[in-house]
Amino acid sequence: MIALTATPHARLRDLLAAEWIKLWSLRSTAWLLGVGTLVMIGLAAQKSIDTYNSWPAFPPREKAMHNPMTDALSGLTAAFLVMGAGSVGALTIAGEYASGLIRTTFAAVPARHRVVAAKVCVVAGVMLATGTVIAVATFGVSQAILSGRDAGVSIGDPGVLRALTANALLAPVSALAGMGIGALLRHTAATIVTVIAVLVVLPTAFKPTVHQWANELYALFPFYVWRNCLSLTHPRVDPALPTVTGSWIVFALWPLAGALLTLIVLRRRDV
Amino acid sequence: MIEVNGLTKRYGDVLAVHDLTFTVRPGHVTGFLGPNGAGKSTTLRMILGLHEPTSGSATVDGQPYRRRSAGLRHVGALLDADDVHGGRSAAAHLSALARSNGLPRRRVDEVLREVGLAGVARRRVGGFSLGMRQRLGIATALLGDPPVLLFDEPVNGLDPEGVRWVRGLFQRLAAEGRTVLVSSHLMSEMENTADRLVVIGRGELIADESVAEFAARGARTRVTVRTPDTAELASVLTLAGASVCPEGDDGLTVTGLSAARIGALAHERRIVLHELAPRTASLEEAFMELTADSADYRADYRADHQADYRAEARR
Repeated sequence: MIALTATPHARLRDLLAAEWIKLWSLRSTAWLLGVGTLVMIGLAAQKSIDTYNSWPAFPPREKAMHNPMTDALSGLTAAFLVMGAGSVGALTIAGEYASGLIRTTFAAVPARHRVVAAKVCVVAGVMLATGTVIAVATFGVSQAILSGRDAGVSIGDPGVLRALTANALLAPVSALAGMGIGALLRHTAATIVTVIAVLVVLPTAFKPTVHQWANELYALFPFYVWRNCLSLTHPRVDPALPTVTGSWIVFALWPLAGALLTLIVLRRRDV
Repeated sequence: MIEVNGLTKRYGDVLAVHDLTFTVRPGHVTGFLGPNGAGKSTTLRMILGLHEPTSGSATVDGQPYRRRSAGLRHVGALLDADDVHGGRSAAAHLSALARSNGLPRRRVDEVLREVGLAGVARRRVGGFSLGMRQRLGIATALLGDPPVLLFDEPVNGLDPEGVRWVRGLFQRLAAEGRTVLVSSHLMSEMENTADRLVVIGRGELIADESVAEFAARGARTRVTVRTPDTAELASVLTLAGASVCPEGDDGLTVTGLSAARIGALAHERRIVLHELAPRTASLEEAFMELTADSADYRADYRADHQADYRAEARR
């Protein structure tokens, strides 16, 4: 037998590297993240140019109400971002099940929780990096255009940094939530449909109502709290609307739940 | 060494594997045989910790496999050649696996050369033929240079040259002192490869012995006799303890007595014999005979069933 001199057991660093190789050796990853980021920046430019052109015709009231953050990342752009990131996260699990690779993976690393930990770290890291690039680039592009009309904001203005942080976190939060759904459902098509329904379509349909229980339920969805609180520089304080603290908690709980669900399901189920 | 002890797996109503106990020793190629649906793959998956046994246990070198963090260094396995993502290249697939076990990158090139895929290392696996994917699966199994190797139907899709190569590989691995378990539903595949056999049917153990012992079972003196007086000879032989089965107008197939004994008995009773031919059953026949009762999806099962149905309809 050939003597293999390396360490007798795999370190977490090796598992992280393995998941990194797996993520980037699929051509679709680079394409999706690259093209996705460019589309986001393009949409920010288009929306900002629109505002730039109509600005002189805006009545003073509209100028005062104008939120430059929505020129950077509009609700529609954010919906694309959540769908894309959620699908990437979901496919890292569902894709392994669909191809059967999951058996090869777990036969190679029988301690499954270590595989899940590495996968969660790599997906969260890559998505946080992508989200940060998107948040900063869309903000930069829209500011460069809007400053021509003196309609921009500075990063030091109240609420701006918070909105930027929320924009950057949207991708990793969605990706890990998607991963949990992928682990639960396994089938690619069902997973993607569910990810889009739960993360985007459902919370888009929610509107503040007179029923407080409904408002509280709505405030549990990350896309809803992003739209109605975190993305706004001056979120309204209203019992019918999510609070800033509550919104951050939702942003923390969804990825945590997604990661935990993945861990529990993958450890227990026969593959 | 693989030790399987009282292994049982139940999927809902289906008992896939029932109270299976056997040991696979190092230094041999052990054939793991059984008809389709006998529970071979389920057993292999339980050994690898992919499926949780309902009861019983399976250990590899004394430990449950699920405890290992770098599995490729302990067990190399080819379960299904399709258990890869078609979008990755062969090299990327193996690189990720090697890295996950802390194996040096050079192992990837080494195993790709060994299985003859070095030339297509950068091509996407999705475009591979079944034979190429089998070779990639074998490369995966060899990656960690493991002391124990499992192969589930590895010959599927290989061309004759590939079949010969894979047989030589298994024998070399065993000669190096490794434990090699190769499953198949065809005895003929094992005849020239394995020196030990574990045979299962309907999830239960049928045989766990050397190939020679297994062949001896099937060779259990079966003799063809031709005589004008079949009725007389049949009663004589039955009295002597044989089981007799008529064959054509003037023939009998006898099991349980040697050809010499049959000849002697016929001579005593002055029965004329036209032919007295001992038949040595092949391994294939031994296998068919032993698993006949346990084959799950036999073609004639359905035919029998339909015959019963027709008989019922006539009544």
